[in-house]
Amino acid sequence: MREYDIVVIGGGLAGLMAAAAATKRGKKVTVLSLGSGTLTIGGGIVDVMGYLEGGIPAATPSAGLLQVGDKHPYKMIGRPAIEESIRFFKEICEQEGYSYIGNLDKMQWIPTAAGTLKPTCLVPKTMDTTELKKADKVIVLGFDALKDFYPSLIAKNFKKIPAFAQKEYEVVMIDPKLSEGRDVTALDVARWLDTEDGLASCIEKMRNVVPSGSVVIIPPVLGTRPNYLVKEKLEQALGCTFVETASVPPSITGLRLRTMLVRYLKKNGVRIVEQAIVAKSIVEENNCMAVITEGVDRERTYYAKSFILANGGFYGGGLLAEPGKVIEPIFNLPVEAPTDHELWANYSLFSSEAQPFAKLGLDVDEKMRPVDADGKVILNNVFVAGRNLRGYDFSFEKSGNGVAIASGYQAAMSV
Amino acid sequence: MTGPGLCPVSFISFLKRGIEMQKTTVVVIGGGATGVGILRDLCMRGVDAILLEQQDLAYGTSSRYHGLLHSGGRYAVKDAEAGKECIEENTILRRIGRHCVEQTEGFFARTHLDDEAFEGKWVEACAKVGIPTIPISVEEALRLEPNLSPKIKSVYRVPDAAIDGFRMVWQNVASARKYGGRVLTYTTVIGIEHSNNQVVGIKVRNTLTGEVSNIACDFIISAAGSWAGEIAALAGISVNVQPDRGTLIAFNHRITSRIVNRLRPASDGDIFVPHGSITILGTTSASVNKPDDTVPNAKEVVELLNIGEALFEDIRSYRMLRAFAGTRPLYSADPNATGRGASRGFVTLDHAHDGLKGFVSVVGGKFTTYRLMAEKVTDLVCGYLNVKTPCRTAEENLVEDTSPALMAKARLYFPAYGAELAASRLGSEGLEKVIARIQEKPEKRQLLCECENVTMAEVEEAAADSTSYMISDVRRKTRMGMGTCQGAFCTFRSVGAVDANGLSWGKDTNVLFKEFLQGRWKGIRPILWGNVMREMELTRGIYEGTLNINGAIDNEGI
Amino acid sequence: MKKHHNNPDSCTACTVCVANCPVTAATRKFRGPKMVGPTLERMRLSQDDIEPSLEYCTNCKNCDMSCPSGVPISTLNMLARAKHFKNRKRSLRDWILSHGEKMAKLSAATPGMANLGMKMSRGILKKIGISNKAPLPPYASKSFSKLFKNLKQTSYPDKVVFYPGCFINYNDPQVGMDFVAVMQANKFEVIIEEDFVCCGSPLVVNGFLDEAEENAKKNIAVLKKWTDKGYPIITCCTSCGLMLKQEYQELFHIEGVEEYAKHLYDAGEFLLDLHDQGRLNTNFGTLNEKYMYHAPCHLRAQGMGLPGVELLALIPGLDVQDADAGCCGISGNYGFKEDKYDISMEIGSGLFKTIKESGRDTVVSECGTCRLQIGHGANVKTLHPMTLVRKSYEAFHK
Repeated sequence: MREYDIVVIGGGLAGLMAAAAATKRGKKVTVLSLGSGTLTIGGGIVDVMGYLEGGIPAATPSAGLLQVGDKHPYKMIGRPAIEESIRFFKEICEQEGYSYIGNLDKMQWIPTAAGTLKPTCLVPKTMDTTELKKADKVIVLGFDALKDFYPSLIAKNFKKIPAFAQKEYEVVMIDPKLSEGRDVTALDVARWLDTEDGLASCIEKMRNVVPSGSVVIIPPVLGTRPNYLVKEKLEQALGCTFVETASVPPSITGLRLRTMLVRYLKKNGVRIVEQAIVAKSIVEENNCMAVITEGVDRERTYYAKSFILANGGFYGGGLLAEPGKVIEPIFNLPVEAPTDHELWANYSLFSSEAQPFAKLGLDVDEKMRPVDADGKVILNNVFVAGRNLRGYDFSFEKSGNGVAIASGYQAAMSV
Repeated sequence: MTGPGLCPVSFISFLKRGIEMQKTTVVVIGGGATGVGILRDLCMRGVDAILLEQQDLAYGTSSRYHGLLHSGGRYAVKDAEAGKECIEENTILRRIGRHCVEQTEGFFARTHLDDEAFEGKWVEACAKVGIPTIPISVEEALRLEPNLSPKIKSVYRVPDAAIDGFRMVWQNVASARKYGGRVLTYTTVIGIEHSNNQVVGIKVRNTLTGEVSNIACDFIISAAGSWAGEIAALAGISVNVQPDRGTLIAFNHRITSRIVNRLRPASDGDIFVPHGSITILGTTSASVNKPDDTVPNAKEVVELLNIGEALFEDIRSYRMLRAFAGTRPLYSADPNATGRGASRGFVTLDHAHDGLKGFVSVVGGKFTTYRLMAEKVTDLVCGYLNVKTPCRTAEENLVEDTSPALMAKARLYFPAYGAELAASRLGSEGLEKVIARIQEKPEKRQLLCECENVTMAEVEEAAADSTSYMISDVRRKTRMGMGTCQGAFCTFRSVGAVDANGLSWGKDTNVLFKEFLQGRWKGIRPILWGNVMREMELTRGIYEGTLNINGAIDNEGI
Repeated sequence: MKKHHNNPDSCTACTVCVANCPVTAATRKFRGPKMVGPTLERMRLSQDDIEPSLEYCTNCKNCDMSCPSGVPISTLNMLARAKHFKNRKRSLRDWILSHGEKMAKLSAATPGMANLGMKMSRGILKKIGISNKAPLPPYASKSFSKLFKNLKQTSYPDKVVFYPGCFINYNDPQVGMDFVAVMQANKFEVIIEEDFVCCGSPLVVNGFLDEAEENAKKNIAVLKKWTDKGYPIITCCTSCGLMLKQEYQELFHIEGVEEYAKHLYDAGEFLLDLHDQGRLNTNFGTLNEKYMYHAPCHLRAQGMGLPGVELLALIPGLDVQDADAGCCGISGNYGFKEDKYDISMEIGSGLFKTIKESGRDTVVSECGTCRLQIGHGANVKTLHPMTLVRKSYEAFHK
């Protein structure tokens, strides 16, 4: 019988981090994944904690961590493990040649495609704002036909941000000659820059409009692969600094991060089963023996000593929302939710309050094991990580990938 | 007579205020189906007219219903007169409005839960008023509409059709404009001016700028629907309109290609109407105090799904897009009649009988008979104005057909499935303008709204229209943001594109983002489960998580 | 409730499929899986039109695999293609490429002549739209069914039915023979059923859905007959396997698929299951050899991981490295088409590069057309995993 030490359910950031940490501990790991997670949607920027209740910005991610509510996953995970997880994440990135910059003691405010700034903790080097902050003059560079980037909007809005208002902005456009064929997204431009010809042609076009020494805000297009070759070649050729903005899906930064993590796991012997729809579990006396996937042909049973449940929240299918109730489909774990559906959401989509529905999820103990309303552990060898956890609104707080990394790590370390 | 809202003023005081005053013969209040129908009719008869709408055109009940062009079958048993009007108007509209009507035909299906005895009564009543009903076998019905519940007992085909409320209103306006008609949106009426018991003008406020002005006129026609009581009150006149809220659900895809009515006495949740890419299920009926009480709730949605299950078994597996509600303007001389008990026929109230000449309210009625209502009230007003030109609204098409040559040209520039949609939304003239934009900048053929197949060029054209003041106005003209993702992707692009063209109406782009997404949220909040919940995680992830439009313009720590 | 809702409702427009679509990465002519699949599906339900770039979809299923919402994107594309072609005239090229089985039967009498003819007529093939650079597979001198008839098997009480599929039957019969040898080494007798027809995969991708359905009906009847008797059915071709168990269910509404699909196995998976039950013959001889492995997309789509890799890991000395470099680009007969050849090679370029850089001269893969493409694109030898398993068993006895 093939038995694994750990079966990780879910191939998003939380699951991949859990698998990485477990492998590092010498465990034999299988990841059961369905779809390729939400990194390519949400992006590869690691938010840890940006805003507190009431919409108050946290001074630093660390300061934010100290002020979260009692039900928040960070409260369960605890500061040391969070720090360790961030260190571990950065170590993998470094090792794979795609290092991230930032730390818990500094809030990084990075430019977005909406001409706003957003607070975050770790970013790839393509989003380093050091030079941007120093610059008196900034070029906002767009690409003709790219329908997901509006440089003049960014320039105009930056003028309204006090710290950025004194800078001078110039909008320049490059024509990547991609107007034939399908609509142009950042992915198309990034793929163009992936090619040697594309990069050379882009450098030529930029030479005419971007003077040496410029700081240039661009959409996230500096190549689809997890390395800094495109950035380095561009900067070297033009003598400029490029800063990618956070932008709408498909997320290039997320694509790079995912590619890197999957490659890392496979190199380290993790088995990844794609299209694995985990539908149920075999549980004996508070211990999970196996989980069962429901293929279009037949069920398959995966035995392991421990299980990490990282199959996402409502989006990923780890939680199912119905009128007045929430279901956790694999283990039928309890989720406390108002039976009156009117109480799930605020009347204003955007306000100074988090959305109640976004905080619905599973209660866990400090080892990330699911607990009931009385705090009693329901399953001894199941550990929960990621978006299915209770108590955080990642959009409002800016904490998404941070909770994924910290909880994934903590789950793997608790096994 | 005097009333609280009545403010007699003289012509001199207008001059003193130095405001350039607009003048017209007739002011029509209300930019819904009836109002635009009246505007068109007046203008076609050569009467100068201005239409006032407090929001955007078709903002009210005319877009907040199921969009069924009734065959009359629904009314045949209870209200033969209404049934007869419906089949007559249905026949006319399918002809003159073929660019906003989709000739889907309809089914009346009796489910296992419905009274068999009613079926015979219904067939008989339809025959009496001239509504053709063709019985077909359940097998045949299931072959034609495979998603129908196999438990249904009997099915009849009727000449129902689907009508797009937004487009129909726009096309009436387009037609009226050709005859000199004028439209002022975001203009709310704050006073009715009169002299010697005769209307002389109207006092209005621009709701966006707050600017107050007067329009001199000889006649005011209130076609304000559920708001008719409030308008009449401005002249101290009582009109007993009871707003009755109907909640509906829009589904993400075409679950039926025909209209499906439940064959039973008219009740809640028994009509499914396919509209282009979506399906609408309606409606509930609940008396409300305010005409703008249009916030639906989860309870109503769950009830609608429970009822709808009898016709479409898998209804819970179909993704909803949003819930929405409108208020029917139910009129009754009897102030105690409400809901489905009140008449859905229409009444023209000549307030000369109340002591004020030059003021008419048209109340009640239904979308299907809007043209007939307009004709009746225009006849009345023309009588006063001594205009003898006969009504021609039933003869002339709302918009001209797009020529085959223009369609062929459009296909060169629009993506697949896009040319026909754009042509039916834009009409010939608009289509040519959008094509010209694409010819000038070929990348404008790209889809700003991928779900509903709307090009950047069309959004820019709609944004440039004089009646557009925000992204939602563009949405109503184009359907952008009304498909699967409900603005998750096109909100960003539309604000970006509009801003890049210098059309952001002087607003901060974050305000535009929030305004549009909050509008979408209103219809999503009551159905926040299943795939809708998933989409909301995505939308919030983009706008709040990644783009931080909520915490925007925050520079702490920099 | 119906098991398969071929409707676009779960799509959130998230665009993950676009980022993972190999065709989209290779050409800007394809509007991408999200647009052509679920987004336009909503339009297709109300309008009769055709998205011209639909022809670029290869049905490789990377969109389905990356979708976080479980939307059957490629199936929506195949159904749309079939709907479009239902009453339209088809090109000779598409007919030929879809009817490999018929062509093979015509050539079966004199495969040598057919191969010669094929070489000579590459010019003619190019004229009808088949690339003269494409790696068209030669016919074997003897088909698998002929070879099998002449084979003397040891009879065992445990039996399996083998579905060879067209490629093994007509082009690469040795894989079938290797499979039979492996099963014999595990004390199974292999049954070949003469009534099997082409699974229909090449018909589906070219829009001949009605014909594919006819084939499906025939195969389903035969498959069900055997599984009802309790015999497992095994394929060595991952595209045939996917078609028989999954795509039949998604594309057609024919009774019986669900029941037999439970007993339909990929050869590697079947052997691993034997291993789990402790009854796999583990008398593997040492093979001190190094190979690259390529996972066919249609294997990955089946939700069972990479059984071939796990199986080969049991062989002592054997070093098999997963190339993990995505789709090879051939997608059945897509890469044979004149107008698709370059796209197909571009899709596979990453894989070819990885293989070349590895310095290994042989690539192992379950899929026959993947092997053709890899041989062509990376200039290496190729093998089916069963060939290595057989070799290892034989090495044990040396």
